[in-house]
Amino acid sequence: MKKVNIVLAVVVATLGLGLMLLLSGGAMRGAQSGFLSWLSPFLKGGAAVQQGIGAMGQGLKTLDQLEADNRRLTTENMELRASNQILRDMEVENNRLRAAVDFRERSMFRLIAARVITRDASTWWNTIKINRGFEDGVEAESTVITDIGIVGKTTTVSKNEAIVMLITDENCKIGAYAEGSREKGIVSGMRVQNAQEPELQMNFLSKNANLQPGQKVYSQGVGAVFPSGLLVGTVKSFRQRELDGQAILTPAVDFSTLSDAFVIVGEK
Amino acid sequence: MRDAVLVLGLLVGTFFLLVIQEFIPPMEFLSGARVNLVPILFCFGALIVAFPWMLGLTVGIGLMVDLASLQVVGDSAEIALGWGIIFYLLIGLVCQGLRPLVLRGHWELHTLMSALTAILYPTLQFAMITLRRMEDGGLYYSDVVTWRILGPGILALFIAPIFWFGVTLSMSRHGGFQRVREV
Repeated sequence: MKKVNIVLAVVVATLGLGLMLLLSGGAMRGAQSGFLSWLSPFLKGGAAVQQGIGAMGQGLKTLDQLEADNRRLTTENMELRASNQILRDMEVENNRLRAAVDFRERSMFRLIAARVITRDASTWWNTIKINRGFEDGVEAESTVITDIGIVGKTTTVSKNEAIVMLITDENCKIGAYAEGSREKGIVSGMRVQNAQEPELQMNFLSKNANLQPGQKVYSQGVGAVFPSGLLVGTVKSFRQRELDGQAILTPAVDFSTLSDAFVIVGEK
Repeated sequence: MRDAVLVLGLLVGTFFLLVIQEFIPPMEFLSGARVNLVPILFCFGALIVAFPWMLGLTVGIGLMVDLASLQVVGDSAEIALGWGIIFYLLIGLVCQGLRPLVLRGHWELHTLMSALTAILYPTLQFAMITLRRMEDGGLYYSDVVTWRILGPGILALFIAPIFWFGVTLSMSRHGGFQRVREV
């Protein structure tokens, strides 16, 4: 190949690289979103195959078993509908009373169900991919939860998928408080840890916080991402440091078996 | 023409490899190390094709790897888009230096370069995130870090020869690799 062509290739590659390194966070997020859309059909196909293989191991059920399951689920559904109705009534009453004492009206969140497509795709970051994107109303920095507690927040969102940074990641920070105390701190994941038994750290507690094992920790609602009152985890241990106290938490959600979650896409 | 086809094949292969890797669970016996097969493909191409094609391969694979592993937190990425290209470019330049030996039949260099790349890539990532998070948690090191860095390299040592002989045998049948060896 001619030397001119080689020089040209080097110049073009250098210019492209220079421009790429100067991209803003938003532009990088856009580029990743586009790439994720390309991967999308293959990821969905792979997830379906994986699910199919997993389902094969569970074995086939007889018609009687299916009928029994159906009856049980129908009853459970009716019970849940009834309790949901009661909760709605209580919400209305609660809002009325809050208004009476001049509190800001607090409405329930609008949730959309999402399925985990892939998990733990990188060495140093704790992330999962879910099958909901901006077409479903998901935005970057949306909170992802389960019926038990907080899962994490979305980072990059494509048309039909989103990357969720788990609370076990060091970069995912949540303002939180411990139940039964006035102690507040910042919860985040560890930099590198065993995926089987993940832990969280709650920093900036007072030295005399003395949190007890089993105490529950909830989100405080400061910042724009995580709403208040969502369960983050339970205290495993507490230690005093030179300037502050640190609690080690066990996450409320079991990430090893997580297959379904909800994304908060707004308020009702 | 042969180089163009090979580079295109490797780029398409990398795309699908990135999809497949998403479904491969971490190796718990190696402290959760991830399977990273992209270096095997990249080193194969970089050791065989001519310099300009190696550049094209570097840009393509580096960009795809960057986009697949990008973590945008708030308004910035921990490791910006483009660092993967720089990393693979450095590896590609070393590979080009070894190319004459490989074309004379030293296939083991592919295995060694693949393992080295698979080890250096997570090392570079870890160094960069450690520097960025210095204010948050300072320096951090444990056995888990060691295994997560070495794990992909160990795996590459076993898989790279299989890939090399599988692909070169297939190329020889179609006359491709024979011509390479005559260069």
